[in-house]
Amino acid sequence: MQAKTNKLVSLNEAIQTIHDGDVLFMGSFIDSRRPMAAAHEIIRQQKKRLILLAQCSLAEDILVGSGCAAAWRGCYTGMATFGLSPATLRKIESGDFFPDEIGHIDIILGAMAAMVGSPFVATRATLGSDVLNEQYSRNEYIKDLAGHPEMIPHQKFVLMEDPFFDEGVIKLQPAMPADVAIIHVQQAGEKGTARISGSLAFDHYFVHGARTVIITAEQVVPEEYLRRDPNRNQIPCTAVDMVVEVPWGAHPSQVQNFYDTDSQFIKDYVTAAKSEEMFSQWIQEWVFKVNSWDEYLGKLGAVRLQKLRSSPPFGYRPRNI
Amino acid sequence: MSEKFVRPEDYSPTEAMVIYAARFLKNFDGKRGLIGTGLPLVATQLAKMLYCPNMITFLETGQADANPQELPISIMDSRLTFGSSWQMGDPEGLFPLSRNEIDFGFIGGAQIDKYGNVNSTFVGDDYNKPTKRLAGTAGAVDIGVFAKTTVTLMAHQKRRVVEMVDYLTTPGWMVKKWPEGHLVRREELGMKGGPSTFVSTLGVMKFDDETKEMYVDKVFPGISVADIKANTGFDIDVERATQSDPILLEEVRILREEIDPLNIYRMR
Repeated sequence: MQAKTNKLVSLNEAIQTIHDGDVLFMGSFIDSRRPMAAAHEIIRQQKKRLILLAQCSLAEDILVGSGCAAAWRGCYTGMATFGLSPATLRKIESGDFFPDEIGHIDIILGAMAAMVGSPFVATRATLGSDVLNEQYSRNEYIKDLAGHPEMIPHQKFVLMEDPFFDEGVIKLQPAMPADVAIIHVQQAGEKGTARISGSLAFDHYFVHGARTVIITAEQVVPEEYLRRDPNRNQIPCTAVDMVVEVPWGAHPSQVQNFYDTDSQFIKDYVTAAKSEEMFSQWIQEWVFKVNSWDEYLGKLGAVRLQKLRSSPPFGYRPRNI
Repeated sequence: MSEKFVRPEDYSPTEAMVIYAARFLKNFDGKRGLIGTGLPLVATQLAKMLYCPNMITFLETGQADANPQELPISIMDSRLTFGSSWQMGDPEGLFPLSRNEIDFGFIGGAQIDKYGNVNSTFVGDDYNKPTKRLAGTAGAVDIGVFAKTTVTLMAHQKRRVVEMVDYLTTPGWMVKKWPEGHLVRREELGMKGGPSTFVSTLGVMKFDDETKEMYVDKVFPGISVADIKANTGFDIDVERATQSDPILLEEVRILREEIDPLNIYRMR
């Protein structure tokens, strides 16, 4: 891919490149650096049949509850101390959303195979567990659902004897590419170079295993600034298709060195999302009745946001402040 | 440390579980632990303050030798980043595990069975339409496969401590050999490690060297072996059970005042 001079687009334009039936990876993990503004825009544009990867946590739960996603292949449906992902649980338990369980290392190896251009890698991860129970596999369902079925392997995994070191049974784990990866970062340049602090989660792998990569950034800074110290950049411009500046774009999750988790907001969401009716009210209030992320931030208010700001040198906001 | 004891009515069952788990971690001073989300993070913080300052904490989100100054609310919390030797991502967090370099994995869960298999994925008899969906396999499956040993924390209830888990997330001593899914000893699949200890809200359980079945090793103060039998979903061996040393005032004080003053983990 040719590095365009300027990849800056609006959030609306970036999300328009996502199609119904796409395999979507939402960056980072659980409650940190989640692409929340992008998730809201996906709901506003009413995407359908998305296949989610890795987790159904803060950013994915609102997509599942809104009917934007039909299936998920990953390892986590929780929100850490805030409990389990309420809309995801509700939809799975009613049979309206289909989980396909793999392990944490499986996600990494699936992304890694896509990153290095291999159809599969070999691992001993998940041996002995019910992850290998074929009765629980939703592979065929996911393949039927996918807008690009060639992205989904014919089988979830293959077991074989280790032909090289005689170490017993091993598993062939297929590549897990994404149609679209959306990664929220601290800083990005206009050509797509991106700098992350805190855990990178899977982002530095999935950006190389996705057809389209959208970066949303707290700050867009001159590309030249990031290129003074390239060792501190985790995503190269060559992997990125679009850059969107979205300050506070991960609220209520945290962004190291920018702001801490809005715990009360997440608690209120978790309570609301337990019932279909209250979830719909929540979505109306926070997604459809605000027309943009700016309006969402306006509704939250400057005082609330100010109280979340991180304090140097910690990167978070110490609780005794 | 002050040797003043606390009476069982002055702490919660969850606090007891976390404190006895922290004491058990004394065995891992200087060792490498991969710590799961939730109460294992809390017990690890307590243990590092009181019993094993040289324990090395790894997280599946890529922190090496994490030393948080405040209790993290999740494994992605930047409280775990600040003070770490290294902060990368999930691959770098989990590859030490798959290289068999992690001395112990420390997890919670929703069910544990008599062979130490743990379920954190779903409860019910149909994965595709579960009675209750849980947090998922996450790193718990990887810890069970690759850690040199596993320590589990869980409330001791009849529906949780069961004959056989509904979904086998974390492999214990008797695991499933696919495609048939029949139970075999983990060594038969070339897997090392295995669970060593289950710390519950009632006592400490271990696994018999020969049969690999769970037995009661310690019973907490104020708890009887009859309580444990009544709250266990299979006929558990209590013949080897002895009483735990009482909980110290200082342990409860540090847990409440220094580790989780805001009661984020709702232990009390």
